[in-house]
Amino acid sequence: MEIINSLRARNRRNTIVMVAMVIAVLVLGIGCLFVGSSNMTAADCWAALNKTGTPANVRIIWNIRIPRVLAAIIAGAGLGLSGLIMQTTLNNPMASPSTLGVSNAAVFGANLSIIAFAGGYLATGNNLSNYTTGANPYATGVMAFLFAAVSILMILSLCTLRAFSPNVVVLAGMALSSVWTAATTILQFYATDVGISAAVVWSFGDLGRATYRTDAIMAAVVLVGFGFFMIMSWQFNALLSGEATARTMGINVDLLRFVSMLLASLITAVCVSFLGVIGFVGIICPHVTKKLLGQDHRVTIPVSALSGSLLLLFADTLSRSMGGGSALPVGAITSLLGAPFFLTIIFSRKENRRC
Amino acid sequence: MLTCENLTFRYDRSGLPVLNGASLELKQGEIGILLGKNGSGKTTLFKNILGLNKPSGGAIRFDGENLLKMPRRERARRIAYVPQDIRFGALSVFDSILMGRVSYFGLKASPEDYTAVEKILRDMHLESYAQRNVDELSGGERQKIAIARAMAQEPRLMVFDEPTGNLDIANEQLIIEEAKKLAREKNISILSSLHDLNQAMYFGDKFFFLKNGVVKYAGGKEIITEEVIRDIFDIDVKITEIDNRKVILNGNLLAS
Repeated sequence: MEIINSLRARNRRNTIVMVAMVIAVLVLGIGCLFVGSSNMTAADCWAALNKTGTPANVRIIWNIRIPRVLAAIIAGAGLGLSGLIMQTTLNNPMASPSTLGVSNAAVFGANLSIIAFAGGYLATGNNLSNYTTGANPYATGVMAFLFAAVSILMILSLCTLRAFSPNVVVLAGMALSSVWTAATTILQFYATDVGISAAVVWSFGDLGRATYRTDAIMAAVVLVGFGFFMIMSWQFNALLSGEATARTMGINVDLLRFVSMLLASLITAVCVSFLGVIGFVGIICPHVTKKLLGQDHRVTIPVSALSGSLLLLFADTLSRSMGGGSALPVGAITSLLGAPFFLTIIFSRKENRRC
Repeated sequence: MLTCENLTFRYDRSGLPVLNGASLELKQGEIGILLGKNGSGKTTLFKNILGLNKPSGGAIRFDGENLLKMPRRERARRIAYVPQDIRFGALSVFDSILMGRVSYFGLKASPEDYTAVEKILRDMHLESYAQRNVDELSGGERQKIAIARAMAQEPRLMVFDEPTGNLDIANEQLIIEEAKKLAREKNISILSSLHDLNQAMYFGDKFFFLKNGVVKYAGGKEIITEEVIRDIFDIDVKITEIDNRKVILNGNLLAS
């Protein structure tokens, strides 16, 4: 009974960590609504939140800032989550949400849409004003998603031939990623100045593209993934003991890998398609979580998701306040912020075998 | 209890067979030791029994049931594995052992599973370890936790792959004693590979000598002779007795 009681104390500690992080996400999320490039005062923001401010301010808060903050919370959680799951299922600390080539495929799809169809010379010529009217953000997002999905299916079906050996998956992902990158380079070689700059700007990653609709789609996919991963947390724990041992414990390792990688990659595909490439969240958040709290997936799944939300919220707020009127690419900020913190954690004196 | 009949296995269709008609039989509560040179097929035979590889021919039965057709969770409740390369992830000792119950609870551990783990911790005198992180433990302690995890599966057979491979002499002794004690107390069978022939003689009841994918000699201690060892390992040894126990002196000792 003593042992069970001491376990209860540990579970209580974990619950406190999670509740504290939820509160931090909420506080930071609400705080972010008051920061931006439009020179609104806190009072203006408050009034706009209550829908009593000027119509312009109300629009800024309700149509721009709230969807953006929601996007940071949802995409951050999704990327943190899928990074953790890819690392566990592939037994590889270097694995990331984009290991199956998802991001590169999405970038190619978006480039194809921007350069060759909607906003490029085929539709509008090399003319910036035409580009703006001709470009359809949904077309780009849909194309990005389609190619990301094709990439996922290609790798997963290829890997069924070799029973999902983690190394094969990682190498196949690298090979396919380089194919997408090469195709993108060729596409950009033939692009107009406007097309290429639009395509490059798209790939920066920008939470400002979020709308309520895109947030809802991302939230649905992230929630399904989160629910599934939480239910399977013991199976992921068993996977930590090695593939052979997990199998002898009765785990269907191949099926678990297939479904987990599919869901994790879909989450990434949806986020990247709507928001562009946001790097590093999927690597740093799971690692920091594991380093500080161990590898029990009942804890690391929610905490990786919450820390992803926190990092992206923080990075987005910085990017909006540092850009001098326009937001800096949030992907660059996550890496700039994350890398030093990550290095500090990796080289800290605390037990180093957890990564 | 466990019967392997004429098992054949090859990794590549065109390659040479690793198992070439291997047969063995182990009774409930018996400790069987698999002996043979590297590459003789010990690991492959283990993998076949554990369901990690499917034999290309032959049959494996567990209490008369066809093990090859048994659902994986059913199999996990009968046979537990203690690998040579023991890994847990950064989990507490309690959770690492609880993990062994996953074939019973599937998705979420029940109070019975917690009680079962608590009992194992008490039986194996590991209570003080419950909250510690497995990664912080020594090789011998980790090996003991791996045995506890296997015990949590409530198996009738435990398969050990070189249980003392990474241990010093003191821990080697400790782990062998622990495994032997559990097998005797709980009437669990053990199938283990071991390099050290003297340890093997102390640990085992029954011995299976593998050569070229076939169990060439099987039986009790009496089958361990200088001729058999020469045939299997291609080395000269001398078997003598110290305190009424058979002791094998290998080539190096003989030379000195």
